[in-house]
Amino acid sequence: MLETLQLTKKFNGHVAVNKLDLRIAPGEIFALLGPNGAGKTTTINCFLGFLTPDSGEARVNGANVDADPLAARRQIAYIPEQVVLYPRFTGVENLDYFSTLAGRRHTMDQLLALLKKAGLPKEAAERRVGTYSKGMRQKVGIALALATEAKALLLDEPTSGLDPAASHEFSVLLRKLAGDGVAVLMATHDLFRAREDATRLGILVHGRLAVEYDASEIKNVDLEKLYLKHLSA
Amino acid sequence: MILPIARKEFLDAWRDGRFRWAAAIMVALLGVALLLAWQQVGRTRAERAAAATIERENWLNQGEKNSHSAGHFGVYVFKPLPPLAVFDRGLEPFVGTTVFLEAHRQNQAAFLPAQDATAMRRFGELTAATGLQLLAPLLIVLLTFGALAGERERGTLRQVLSLGVRPRDLVLGKALGLGVALAVLLLPVALFGAVALAKLPGGDAAGGWIRLAWLGGAYALYLAAILAGCLAVSAVAPTARAALATLLVCWAANAVLAPRLASDLAQRVLPTPKLVEFETAMNKAVQEGLDGHNPRNDRLQAFAQETLKKHGKTRIEELPFNFNGLVMLESERMANEVFDHHFGKLWDRLEAQDRTVTWTGLVAPLLGLRSASMALAGTDFTQHRHFSVAAEQHRRDFVRVLNEDMMNNTDGGHHGGTAGRALWEKLPAFRYDPPPPAHALRAATPGLMVLLLWAAGAWAALLLVAPRLKPN
Repeated sequence: MLETLQLTKKFNGHVAVNKLDLRIAPGEIFALLGPNGAGKTTTINCFLGFLTPDSGEARVNGANVDADPLAARRQIAYIPEQVVLYPRFTGVENLDYFSTLAGRRHTMDQLLALLKKAGLPKEAAERRVGTYSKGMRQKVGIALALATEAKALLLDEPTSGLDPAASHEFSVLLRKLAGDGVAVLMATHDLFRAREDATRLGILVHGRLAVEYDASEIKNVDLEKLYLKHLSA
Repeated sequence: MILPIARKEFLDAWRDGRFRWAAAIMVALLGVALLLAWQQVGRTRAERAAAATIERENWLNQGEKNSHSAGHFGVYVFKPLPPLAVFDRGLEPFVGTTVFLEAHRQNQAAFLPAQDATAMRRFGELTAATGLQLLAPLLIVLLTFGALAGERERGTLRQVLSLGVRPRDLVLGKALGLGVALAVLLLPVALFGAVALAKLPGGDAAGGWIRLAWLGGAYALYLAAILAGCLAVSAVAPTARAALATLLVCWAANAVLAPRLASDLAQRVLPTPKLVEFETAMNKAVQEGLDGHNPRNDRLQAFAQETLKKHGKTRIEELPFNFNGLVMLESERMANEVFDHHFGKLWDRLEAQDRTVTWTGLVAPLLGLRSASMALAGTDFTQHRHFSVAAEQHRRDFVRVLNEDMMNNTDGGHHGGTAGRALWEKLPAFRYDPPPPAHALRAATPGLMVLLLWAAGAWAALLLVAPRLKPN
């Protein structure tokens, strides 16, 4: 469960996130839309405990992130726009390192199986990641979420720069994770993916959640028009 | 959590081709420096031992002459090169190697190896010590500048921290991994140094192994301080490039600027007299007394009167021994007081200069390390002073024996009478016993304290900045 209660964060007097109330239940994929600077990444940073809110709270499974950021992070998997790996290590070595840091020990076979589940075959997994495409790196990120058995997944522009096939593959994996009971918060500009994958979506404007929709409400509407309408409002 | 991070850092460093190349170059340089120094030290020690044997033969075969002339014939003594000069030559090239011992004069050690060197010496001499003092920190800079700042720039730091890793564990893991990488790199050099010491005849003299162990400790402290300091800079620097620039400036200040400024400062605050001034003042004091108001002739005349009174005689010729011999003994005693005063003052001043330079190490750790390294290797000024004092003691003993012979075994009133090989053999050859490790450790203590403070400060700084580690 991911939750914010009246979450507010300011930078030098500028309000980046303004009294944000969010609640993402296990199994939900919440797409957070909004222009650059709307406060999407700031919200994610508050969940990760990288930023301290000026007021309000970010909670992971009911626990206040600010009170114990390390404990909160151990329940979260985070996939940034660019999953960055250590280039002198293979995919499986990277996964081994990251999952060990997250407190999960796996055998090499288990790690290879997780990578395979995330769409990365053995021969690619055993190659140094210096030659990986963005899509392959994102798959390592997904494998990490699987390896750490995270209760919540934070995604920051995860499909940006992916080709349609890779983007589709990523969506399938994401839905699978949500199906396993993971609460997913996905900050994105990708309206198509948001409509395809999200169970709910919200549009953030100047740090405020301008509107929130259920997936069924936007099935047959022009999401782009709706989005632009809220931006200009 | 620290160990997996350390393991990854270690592997990452070893898989980095740049590090492997830099490491190979450094190991090669240190290996060559040690090998050449080992050969040179072995050769020099053999040369000086051979010269001492020849000098002894010259002394014994000088023929018959009166004992006072033998005092002026004199004898050369040679400073043995400490075995750990293989590692750190310290002041050896800049202090004399040979002392001429003769009647009436305390001479300074002469024949500086630096005088015989080519103009290339002005670029410095590559020894294992200078390699570790200057190149190893540079390697640490290259290893660490991007360790945290680079990860922040690339985005891996954000990912690592998002996994719930404690920032303190992260920096300690990195320090451990990089430290082990460095240790693995330096291990062959340390082993080579140990083998070189073991293979050198008399290498264990004066507690060679104990000194080597302390040297290892001093260098470990220095490199640990540099490692922690570099990681702390990398932790707070906004970019890897900024970290590199900052660390290179610090390296240059520590390695190039600080030694020059510190020695200039020491000379300015605690100036030493020029050689001519020193000798003039000393000769004047020999003639006029230490207070300048007690001429030597007056003192000797008073001494003659006292001697006559003591023996109940009115004329020198009536004394039952050669009075000139007694005068020689007395004038040596008076001159020795002057030598002790002047040389003592000069050497105390030089040691005070060294201490000033060492404590300046509080702003540049290299100065603390250099002082400790030279002291432990036995190539610092305190050990040179120890040798000079031993040589001077030998001179005094040897002149006393000659003057006593003149006093007791020659006619009174003149320098007449001859002595021969029997007397020359009574005078033992000069044998120098280097000071024990405790002496070296005492001399190294200020430097070691400076290093300890640096290591404690750098690690405290690292642990202080760790919790403030920003993911981006």
